[in-house]
Amino acid sequence: MASIDLDKMLAKIKSTQWALSDIDWDAPGAELITEEQWPKLKDFMADLMWIEHVGARAFAAMAKKAPTDTLREIYTYFHAEEQRHANAEMALMKRWGMLEGDEIPEPNINLRLVIEWLDRYSDEMPVYVLGTVVPMLEIALDGALCTFLLETVKDPVCHQAFEKINDDESRHLGVGFTVMEMQGRGKTFIGATKMLAPLMDPRLLLGIASYAPLLNKMRDNIITMGLPEERLYAAMAKFERIGGRTKDGRRNPWYQVIRQHAKIVVDRNNRAYHLPVDGLVKLTGMIPRKALPAVPSWVKELTYQPTA
Amino acid sequence: MTTSSASPKKAPRKVATRKRASTAKRPGVTKKPAVKPASVLIVGAGFAGLGMAIRLKQAGIEDFVILERANAVGGTWRDNQYPGAACDIPSNLYSYSFAPNPNWSRSFSGSEEILGYIHHLVAEFALESHIRFEKNVEGLTFDEKKGMWTATTDKGEQFAGRAAVMAQGPLSNCSFPAITGLEDFKGHKIHSARWDHDYDFSGKKVAVIGTGASGIQIIPELVKQAKHVKVFQRTPGWVMPRPDFATPQWNKKLFEKLPASQQAMRNLLYWTHESMALAVIWNSPLTRIAERVARLHLRRQVKDRWLRRQLTPDFTIGCKRVLVSNDYYPSLQKDNAKLITWPIARLSEKGIRTVEGIEHQVDCIVFATGFDVSHSGTPFPVKGRKGRVLGEEWEGGAQAYKSINVSGYPNLYMTFGPNSGPGHNSALVYMESQLDYAVKGVQKILQGDLKMLDVKEAVQRKHNKAMQKRLAKTNWNSGCKSWYLTEDGFNATMYPGFATQYAAQMADFEENDYETA
Repeated sequence: MASIDLDKMLAKIKSTQWALSDIDWDAPGAELITEEQWPKLKDFMADLMWIEHVGARAFAAMAKKAPTDTLREIYTYFHAEEQRHANAEMALMKRWGMLEGDEIPEPNINLRLVIEWLDRYSDEMPVYVLGTVVPMLEIALDGALCTFLLETVKDPVCHQAFEKINDDESRHLGVGFTVMEMQGRGKTFIGATKMLAPLMDPRLLLGIASYAPLLNKMRDNIITMGLPEERLYAAMAKFERIGGRTKDGRRNPWYQVIRQHAKIVVDRNNRAYHLPVDGLVKLTGMIPRKALPAVPSWVKELTYQPTA
Repeated sequence: MTTSSASPKKAPRKVATRKRASTAKRPGVTKKPAVKPASVLIVGAGFAGLGMAIRLKQAGIEDFVILERANAVGGTWRDNQYPGAACDIPSNLYSYSFAPNPNWSRSFSGSEEILGYIHHLVAEFALESHIRFEKNVEGLTFDEKKGMWTATTDKGEQFAGRAAVMAQGPLSNCSFPAITGLEDFKGHKIHSARWDHDYDFSGKKVAVIGTGASGIQIIPELVKQAKHVKVFQRTPGWVMPRPDFATPQWNKKLFEKLPASQQAMRNLLYWTHESMALAVIWNSPLTRIAERVARLHLRRQVKDRWLRRQLTPDFTIGCKRVLVSNDYYPSLQKDNAKLITWPIARLSEKGIRTVEGIEHQVDCIVFATGFDVSHSGTPFPVKGRKGRVLGEEWEGGAQAYKSINVSGYPNLYMTFGPNSGPGHNSALVYMESQLDYAVKGVQKILQGDLKMLDVKEAVQRKHNKAMQKRLAKTNWNSGCKSWYLTEDGFNATMYPGFATQYAAQMADFEENDYETA
């Protein structure tokens, strides 16, 4: 994956738009979901949909801080595209009878905390922080979750939807890695260290405190569904490989941070990390829903209906 | 000029809309001018053209002709009659100082009342006989030997004048934006500047594309009428509160009986707006204060954090036109309204598809997408000395001397020419300076019996060099995309200074700056 021309990419993004109404959500094939699959798939899809949705919010924050007009516009499109993915995944859930009425599935508590963090602090974060975390999450989605989903689910409409989603995601990743390299370009040791300064920012620390348990929780959920753990780890290795393919990419300190973190996440034996983080998962699970503030209104923008 | 006691609102509107019998011969029959050459040809019967006519008359020059493409006067204010259309500069400042109106009904008048004022100007100054309606000028050509400008209309009629004034207005042409699928949409389409008064919005689902100066005025009105309104926003603008009040009767009487009191009010408004230049034109501590005021206005009117975020601009205030409204934000929060900030992917048969994958189906789309502003061309071919064509010379960005003359195009005056746009004060204040400058030029031509009064190229170049240097330091050139700039970021639109500076620039007609023949 070579660095890409962002202007050409923007033109490509604009010319390859699709809508929910391009897919016939009532076409035959929904019956191919087995009874055994159904409950696990329901949880999996709900998580997937929420991850797309928080990814969307992260792109919205990145658009605010984008260093160029082109990148700002690209991120604005990516924000909407991630929302489209969440909408399409919800439409699949609706098709499979996984939505009760018009209800949006409840996000798990760790997602809920990430939503809260994104809503309050993400706009304040420098673009290179989210610009590295987001490709990591996307590669995990693209490389592990979606592939696994397509291997497991036989419904052709699901395949049709994910073909479109994956096309979008590959462009998101292309831009993501290019930007990571841009941020590392010509960085001196001092420059790179400065980029790490937000690590001292309590707002970012709060973000890490919500992000780390989410990853562990997701790992547990996915494994429950039958996804081989190695798949997730292979996806993380892909992040390390592509992100570090050039000197500029390797010079981006946030690439190094996320890469090291991924390694720790993968290493089950690293008890110094997993014990407290798994503890956090348990602890956050005890937070009563009532204690959380109302969900931000951007969450209510989700819809499974192709027309409005 | 004495203060008029007649209310412009009551001015007979029809007086300036009647079609006059043309003395022109049929197209193609003759190439000679249809009527004997006038001293001055004026293109356009909007605020600028009519103002020019008034000032010429007041200077004793009666021999002028106004060519108007429509069958009524009023220009922008005739065309922009959408619901809620109003001026965002107080009426006591957005009117001619030489034709004050004591009867403005509100501090910010609606477009109908402003149009009434324009009709009143026509009646008050007996301009009607000078106006030739339905004369759509398609070209202006200068004859160097005769020292004469000839305007040719779309019907082939020709009108000649020793001097010409291009007063067609910078915001007079509009078109639907180039959105994919524009032709696919089978519902009703309306452009804000060409309002369809016959369309009934009640019970309709409506989309409004654009949230600029026109959009934010239309939306509150449509929300009152339509079943549902979806507002498609690309970039939010800075919105300031609008101190709009009905004028009490005693106030109108005071202005009528004591014109000096209205002049004092005008002065107060003028200097208040002048002070805003410090916030709007240049990035200063006052810019931060202005942004703070706008943020407070938003915070006070919008409680939802995400909606506030969607409505918060990410450019320096002043970089684009500053908006004023008290009812825009509240209207967006009504049950039958929704702000949509997803980018538009395309129009479809039934509505608008946005990038989040949803088709927003509507009965009607209102395009509040602004005007076709030409930064690098002319609205029609303008041919000067030795056959030079102005549009070609302006390809890299329009340039003029003091915004009003262009070297190589003698005896030609432009209203709102390059670098004359105000960002903080009334356009008519700038206009008055331009009109008086043009009158001086015309007087020199007529009194000196000159064939040519042409600004020297070197003088013009020097003026523009200084202009662009000053513009580089302004908020307009601070990085946002706006209609003030060309695609390449060249600012051929705005004047980088106070209205007072502009007036000083236009106060003297330096004959040495011009070549005469």
